Amino acid sequence: MSATEVAAKTAAVNVQNVVKVYQRDSQQIKVLDGLSLEVPQGEFIALMGPSGSGKTTLLNLIAGIDRATSGRVWVAGTDLSPLSEGELAKWRSQNIGFIFQFYNLIPVLNAVENVELPLLLSHLSKKERRERALTALRIVGLADRSKHYPRQLSGGQEQRVAIARAIVTDPAVLVADEPTGDLDSRSAEEILDLMQTFNKEFGKTIVMVTHDPRAAARAHSQRHLEKGVLTA
Amino acid sequence: MKFAPLILKHLRKNWVRTLSTVLAMSVCIFLICVLQTVLAAVNFGLHSGSTRRLVVRDYVSLANNLPISYKQKISALPGVTDSTIVTWFGGRQGDDFKNFFANLAVEPEAFLRIYPEIMLPEDQKQKWLSDLRGCIIGRKLADRMGWKVGSTFQLESFIPPYRVGKPFEFVVDGIYDTDEARYPGTNLDSMYFNFKYLYEATGERIGIGTLTVQIDDPSHAGAISKEIDEHFENSDNPTKTETEQAFRAGFISLAGNLALLLNVIGMAVAFTILLVTANTMSIAVRERQQEIAVLKTLGFSSGLVMALILSESLLLGLMGGLLGIFISRGIISVLKEVPFLGDILRGFPNLGLSPTIAAIGVGVALLLGLLAGFVPALLAYRARITESLRQV
Repeated sequence: MSATEVAAKTAAVNVQNVVKVYQRDSQQIKVLDGLSLEVPQGEFIALMGPSGSGKTTLLNLIAGIDRATSGRVWVAGTDLSPLSEGELAKWRSQNIGFIFQFYNLIPVLNAVENVELPLLLSHLSKKERRERALTALRIVGLADRSKHYPRQLSGGQEQRVAIARAIVTDPAVLVADEPTGDLDSRSAEEILDLMQTFNKEFGKTIVMVTHDPRAAARAHSQRHLEKGVLTA
Repeated sequence: MKFAPLILKHLRKNWVRTLSTVLAMSVCIFLICVLQTVLAAVNFGLHSGSTRRLVVRDYVSLANNLPISYKQKISALPGVTDSTIVTWFGGRQGDDFKNFFANLAVEPEAFLRIYPEIMLPEDQKQKWLSDLRGCIIGRKLADRMGWKVGSTFQLESFIPPYRVGKPFEFVVDGIYDTDEARYPGTNLDSMYFNFKYLYEATGERIGIGTLTVQIDDPSHAGAISKEIDEHFENSDNPTKTETEQAFRAGFISLAGNLALLLNVIGMAVAFTILLVTANTMSIAVRERQQEIAVLKTLGFSSGLVMALILSESLLLGLMGGLLGIFISRGIISVLKEVPFLGDILRGFPNLGLSPTIAAIGVGVALLLGLLAGFVPALLAYRARITESLRQV
């Protein structure tokens, strides 16, 4: 095993010379242009940059929901490039917690059922799944809202349920795509507090895309993207 | 099973759409079950005829009678062992169209010899043989009409030659049963009376409606039929002779190609429901593009997402199918009471929703569900997470 591979395996996230090109009709759009990034385990990193700079694309590659055109992406010790779609889905269910800007809770499920959703892919019993989901809700301070449906919750509460859903499988890496982008400042603060708690107390590696400098300030480090390359 | 709540909650969320789709599906399955039940009953009736009996009738039409003298001539032909006149009387009780039943004029002694499935107690048999106005009725007819041995009733035919200005009076001399194991499909909803009574009452001017001929060997049916028809080929009344089964099939085909008609109706309804259900599922999946992307992000494989959508569609089909069968059972049990249709259906003793047809109904419903859900499920399978999330 080469020194590069050892480094890739030990880092929480290791992106090596990644290029991502989208085909739009007859045009090819290069979104990421030979980008490399390493995020050590337990790090809380904020990715910033203007719209169209490639932040979300990079986040998607790290989360394993998109594939690089070239280059390699190692996350939680796994090289994602050779994985099939099925393997990648299974890997996501075990290693990634995804927090969306617009929460993306399933409207027909109540809070605890939403949190339980990723656990349906595990071999846990119904009782164990429910216990873990309630524990996750307790951690985010919403145990008393477990039976509430998304429409019965505020934006901040919905995002907390979404965070509970992201952590319920105890993933190695949390990826968050503008998690405070749709919230008022008070709710945003609460969400950032929670994320810091997961990072500090539970040692979760967090990669967060944000436009908000106050949110970025909560991270250990900030990286800036511009036209598909890291500028700082 | 652990995904069942997710599927059920989606169906419950748009309950109006779910309910209307299930109802549409149930109507489709109901129609298919009823149509197939009628067809099965008809087919059962057709195949229950004896292979040792031939039916001789006028070549041109059942409405034409054959000369009485034909009976003697046909009985003399080689291979013919027995024969009886069987003439459709077409009698009704006044204007009562609801309680119509088959009533036929026969030669009692020969009839009972040729039709061993008609089982009468000996004393009732003897009474009928000696009573010109007597008749025998099937057990079901007796129960339906509340008639007992000794009951009297009147019938008036709608067929001109048998109308004599007043109704015919009959006495129930016997109630016949059958051995279902040996003679499945025997009609217990008919009435038979003495042809002599009809013949004399009409001034001895009528002919034979049909002549049922018993032959010595079923394998000779073709040859004997041919011989009978050739015998009368150049007469004023040429005949058409066929096996009892073929005769029944031909009789039913007088009302058009029933099987084709019913199957075309069934297929048309099924195709319409397929489009309705497919539309429902397409809308449901389009509305859930974001959710599908989220499920995939959480680690649900494309195959699992496809299976969830197909399961939802199959469940719609199953619910519609079961409801359709439930409705069918109820409707089929009262079909025999429907004016006109009931008259026809009572001629088929085996009318009832069989487990096979019920299983076919559920199978069709599941197939429709599967087909309707396939394209939306395939689209969900192929949906790329990043593109689906971007469209939200």
